[in-house]
Amino acid sequence: MVCYSNKTLTVPANFCLPNGLWKQEPVKMGLLSDPSISTHNKLVDSLAKHMRKLCYVFYTAGVVWFMCLALPEFNHGTYLSENALSPGLVYPEIRIDSNRLALQLLEELQRERKEHQSTTPHAWILGKFNEFGLETYIHNYTLRYPFGGGKEFHGKNIYGILRAPRIGSTEGIVFSAPYRPPSSVHDDISASVPVLLTFAEFARRKNYWAKDLVFLVTEQEQLGMQAWLEAYHDGDKKYDTSSSYLVPGNLPARAGALQAAVNIEVEDLEIDYVDVKIEGLNGKLPNLDMFNLVQRIMAREGVTSGYKQAPRKKRRTNYSTYEQNLRQMLAMLSAQTSGVPSGNHGLFHRYRIDALTISAAKRVTNSNVKSNPSSAAVPFLKAIEGISRSLNNLLERFHQSFFFYLIVHNDRYVSIGDYMPALVALIACGFVKAYLIWSTLDAPEHTSQQDADTNPPAVYLKLTLPYGSVLIYLTVSVVIGYMGNVLPLQKYLISLPIGAGPLTVAMLMAINLAGFALPFFLVLPFGGLELLHISLLLIYSCALIVIGLLNFALGFFVAVLSMPMIVALDPNTTNVTLRGLARLWTLLLNPVVVIYAVVLVLTFYQFPELAFQQLLLRAATAAMDAVTFALIDSVIYGNWLYFVACTVFFPLWIACWTLALGRRGDNTISKTKLKTN
Amino acid sequence: MDSNRFKLLLLGGAIRLYFSQTSLASLIGNRVEFATPLNSFKRLQEGVFLLQQGVDPYSGDLVHESPLLLKALSYILINCAQVLPLLYILFDLCTATLLYLLSNTFVKQKLQQQKGECKEYAKDTEELQYNDEDKSTIPELVLLAYLFNPLTIMSCIGLTSTVLSNFLLALILYSMVKRQLLISIVVLAFETVRSLYPFVLIAPLILLFARRSIPMAIAIFMIFVTSCFAVAGANFLIMNSWNYLDGTLGFIFYFRDLQPNIGLFWYFFTEMFEHFRTMFLITFQLNATVLYLVPLSLKLRKEPLLLATVLIALMAVFRAYPSLGDVGFYLALLPLWRRCWKFMAHGFVVFAFFLITLSLMGAFWHLWIYAGSANANFYFGATLAFSTGQIFLITDLLFAHVKREFCLYNGQKIMIDGEEARILLE
Repeated sequence: MVCYSNKTLTVPANFCLPNGLWKQEPVKMGLLSDPSISTHNKLVDSLAKHMRKLCYVFYTAGVVWFMCLALPEFNHGTYLSENALSPGLVYPEIRIDSNRLALQLLEELQRERKEHQSTTPHAWILGKFNEFGLETYIHNYTLRYPFGGGKEFHGKNIYGILRAPRIGSTEGIVFSAPYRPPSSVHDDISASVPVLLTFAEFARRKNYWAKDLVFLVTEQEQLGMQAWLEAYHDGDKKYDTSSSYLVPGNLPARAGALQAAVNIEVEDLEIDYVDVKIEGLNGKLPNLDMFNLVQRIMAREGVTSGYKQAPRKKRRTNYSTYEQNLRQMLAMLSAQTSGVPSGNHGLFHRYRIDALTISAAKRVTNSNVKSNPSSAAVPFLKAIEGISRSLNNLLERFHQSFFFYLIVHNDRYVSIGDYMPALVALIACGFVKAYLIWSTLDAPEHTSQQDADTNPPAVYLKLTLPYGSVLIYLTVSVVIGYMGNVLPLQKYLISLPIGAGPLTVAMLMAINLAGFALPFFLVLPFGGLELLHISLLLIYSCALIVIGLLNFALGFFVAVLSMPMIVALDPNTTNVTLRGLARLWTLLLNPVVVIYAVVLVLTFYQFPELAFQQLLLRAATAAMDAVTFALIDSVIYGNWLYFVACTVFFPLWIACWTLALGRRGDNTISKTKLKTN
Repeated sequence: MDSNRFKLLLLGGAIRLYFSQTSLASLIGNRVEFATPLNSFKRLQEGVFLLQQGVDPYSGDLVHESPLLLKALSYILINCAQVLPLLYILFDLCTATLLYLLSNTFVKQKLQQQKGECKEYAKDTEELQYNDEDKSTIPELVLLAYLFNPLTIMSCIGLTSTVLSNFLLALILYSMVKRQLLISIVVLAFETVRSLYPFVLIAPLILLFARRSIPMAIAIFMIFVTSCFAVAGANFLIMNSWNYLDGTLGFIFYFRDLQPNIGLFWYFFTEMFEHFRTMFLITFQLNATVLYLVPLSLKLRKEPLLLATVLIALMAVFRAYPSLGDVGFYLALLPLWRRCWKFMAHGFVVFAFFLITLSLMGAFWHLWIYAGSANANFYFGATLAFSTGQIFLITDLLFAHVKREFCLYNGQKIMIDGEEARILLE
C-alpha cells in the first residue's frame, strides 16, 4: 500500500526522455511499479514454453513434501496445551467392586439378549438407569427412509442425566454407548452398555461433578446418535417435518451446553488394547488435546491404546519407522476422505462438541498374558474415570490445541501449517498453468516483428473471447451435475419398482451420459476452448483449495489423482496419439469410474480369494451400495461428499472431457449453437 | 438507449428478482461480507420499528442509517413491505442506467478532447486512443459489469443499503460528467452526511468545475459545506435531536462495532491495546480519507473522473465498514479506462486473487463460526489478501494510466540502437 503511494505519487513517474533514463541493463523493479511499457514479459514467455515441466515440478514438490512429513524432522511430539485438563492429577477411585458390578450387568444383559434378538432391551436399561438414581428419559425418533416406499421406522434412545451437584445445569459431558442387537452384522460390542452403567453407578456416588453427565445408550448405529443430537439441539424448533427424512422429535429433558463427548465401544470386559477413533463427519477431527488426554490417561493406567491400534502380532513387522509413519498418515487420510465418521462420536463434531470413540478390543483367549476376570476391566474403568475427571475440569470449550492435524504416530503429529504447503504446491500447478495460458493467449508463438504488427493487439483478442458461451457451458454442466442430487430422490422415480441402488446408479449413469454427450451437442465458438481451459483450471484449483480446507484428505487425494491429467490436458495438441491418450486418461478419471476403481481395489484386498470375474461383479454391487449410502449419508447426516462429487467434480470432469475431445467451432463454418454475449 | 440495453436491464432485473425470491436472499442478508452494521437490512428494520414505537433509534447502538432515508424507507416498510425488494432492484437498475449514460457522455467527451490533441500523439498509438467503436462498447461493458457482477447482484438481493449508496455515487458521477455542479454537490453532501467517506469526492468536483480558479474552488467548497449543513439540518428537523449525528457519522468515525467484515479495521481494533485506540483510529481514518487525496489530486488533475474512480475504490478498501457491494460498484467503472487496459499487467492475478479469497472467506467463516475449528486469524488472512488484491488492481490502474499518457505522446516502441528500451522510474 505504502509502496504504491511512494512510487506513483511522492515520486511522480517522470516519463520523459532526458539522458540517463534509458538503460539497457536489467534493473530491479517493484512488483507493483514495474515501469516497463511492454506488456510482454520475457520470463512469462520462456516459462510458458516449459509449462508442463514447471507444473510437474510443483506437483512433485507437493508430493515429496507430503512424503517428508513422515520424517521425524518434519513432525512434532504431542503435548497438552490446555492446562485445565491436568490429566492424572487425581487418584482414580474406581475399585474392584465396580468390576464385579460390570460382570454382573454383563451377565444380566446376555440373558436379556437371548430374548431380544433384533431389538434393544429398553426396559432393562431403563430399569438399571433408574436403579442407579439417574434422571432417566426415553427419546423417540422416526426415520422416513427415502427408498422405503413411505414406510416409517421408529427408534428409541435411552439416556440418564446426572445433574452436577456443584453448579446449575449449564454445561454437560456425554458418555455414550451404542447398543447392537445380536442380529447385527457388526462386531459384538455388548459389553459397552455394562461398562457405561458401571461408570454411571460410580459417578452417581461422587459429588465433585461440575458438569452434568449424560449417559446415553443409542441404537441403530449412527442413526440413533444423529437423531438424539438433532433433538438435543433443534428439537424445540417447529419446522416442516414432512420433507425431512429423519424426524428427531424432542427431548423431555436436557443437560447444559455439551462440552465434550466420549463414545465407548467395548467388545468384552477382558480388554486387549484400545483403539481411539477420531475421524468425524466430513473428515472433521476433535481437538488434539482430547486425543492426547486419552492417550496420557490410558498410558497411566497401563492400557495399550493408540490411533488405529491393531492387535500385537506375534512376528514383528519389518517396516522402518518412516514407513510405519507414512502408512499411519495415509491410513488416517483414507479414513477421512469419505467423510463418514468412524464411530458415533463423529456426529458430535458438527455441533462443535469435541468427541472421540474409545473402542476396546477383546483379548484373544490363548494369549500368553494371564488375567483375572474379576479385575480385568479395572484399568479401563479407571481410565474412563480419569478422562471424565479431566473433562470435568474444563473451564471452556477445547480451543487451545489443533483442530487440523495428522497423526503420524501415537505421540507425533503434523499441524496444518506443515501439511498445507503440500496441497498448496499441488494446487499451484493449476493456477500457474492458468496464468501462463492466459498471458500467452495473444502471443502466437515465434512471430517475427512484422507479424506482430499485423496481429490484433492483446486487449482486443482477450475482449473478444466468448465469455458468455463459456459461462453458459459451465452452467449447463453444473446443472447436469446437480441433477445427480435431485433426481434419485424424486417421488415418481422412487415409486418405480426397482431397488435404491440400481435407481441411484441408473440416474448417475444417465447424468454421466449427458455429460459425456454434452461436448457433441454444444460446440464452443472460436476461442471458447482456450477460455474454458483457463476457467477450468481456475475453478478446479479454487474448489480443491476450499475442499482441502474443509476436508484435507479429500482435497489432497483428488489433487494427487487428477492434477497430472489436468496438467497434461492440451486442447491444441496436434499429435493424434497424445490426444487419444488424453481422452483415455480423462475417461479413466470420470467420477463413476474412479468410484468403481476404488471399490474394486478395496474388494480385492478384502476378498483376495475371489476369481477375477467374480471380483468385478462383486465390486460392481459394492460400488452401487456405496453410491446409495453416500446419497443417504448426504440427506440424513449432512455428509457432503456426494454433493461435491456431483456438483463440483462431475461438472469439472465435463469441462475436462470437452477439452480432451477438443472439438472447436470454426470461424468460417460456424456451427455454434450458443450465442456469444 | 436502444432495445438491446433494455433487454440487458430487464435481464439484470429478472436475475435479481429471481434470486431475491430464493433462500439465497436471507443468506446474503446475514453474510458479513455483504451486510455490515452500517448497511444491513436487519438494522434498518430495527430502526423502523423503533421509529414506529416512538423511540429515538439512535439512542441505542443498532441503527446507523441517516434519518431522512430511515423515515422514507419506514413508510414503505410499514405500508407495503413486499415491494421493498422491487424498490431495491429498481434502484440498482437506475444505478446501472446512470453508469451507462455517464460512460456514454464520458466517451464522447474523450473523443472531442482527442480531436484537439491528436496532433501531438505519436504515430502507433491508435489502440490507445478512444475511437468511435468505444462509443457503444464501453458503455455496454460498464452496463454488463454492473448488472451481471455477482457482487452487485448479491448486494442487491441482500437488501443492503449499499444499493442506495451506489445509486447516489452513480448520480454524483453522472452529474459530474454532465457538468451539473449543483446536483452533484447536493447529492454529495447528502451521501457525506450518510456515510462520511464520500466527502473526498469534493476534490474531483473542484478540479472539474473550478479549473485553476481559486475563488471558484473556495466557492464550490463553501457550497458543499453549506449543503452538508443543510442536509444535517433537514435530518435534525425530522428527528428533532442531534443524536443521529453520533449514530451515523460518529459510529463510522469511532468504529464502535467490531463485527468482522472484509475491511482492515475490525481485526486490528480487536487486537489492539485499548489506550492506543485514539491514535490508531485517527491513523486509520486518515488512511481511508485524506492520505491519498492530495497526491492523487495532484497527479490526476487532468482526469477528474479517474480521480473519482480511484478515490471510490480506495474508499471501498479502507473504509471502516466496507462491503462487497462497494467493490462491485467500482469494478463497474473500470471499463471506462479500457484504453489503459493494455498496460494493466496484473488483471489476471487480481482476478485469481478475488476468486480465491472470496471462496476462502466462505470456507474460513464456516470453519470459524460454525465448525469452531478455525479462528479469526484464518478469516482475517483471507480478507487481508482480498484487500491486497484490490490494492493491486488500483495501483495497476494508476500505472496503466500513467503509461498510457506517456505512450500516447512518445509512441509505444522506443528503440535505442535497434533494441527495445527499458523505461525506468526515477
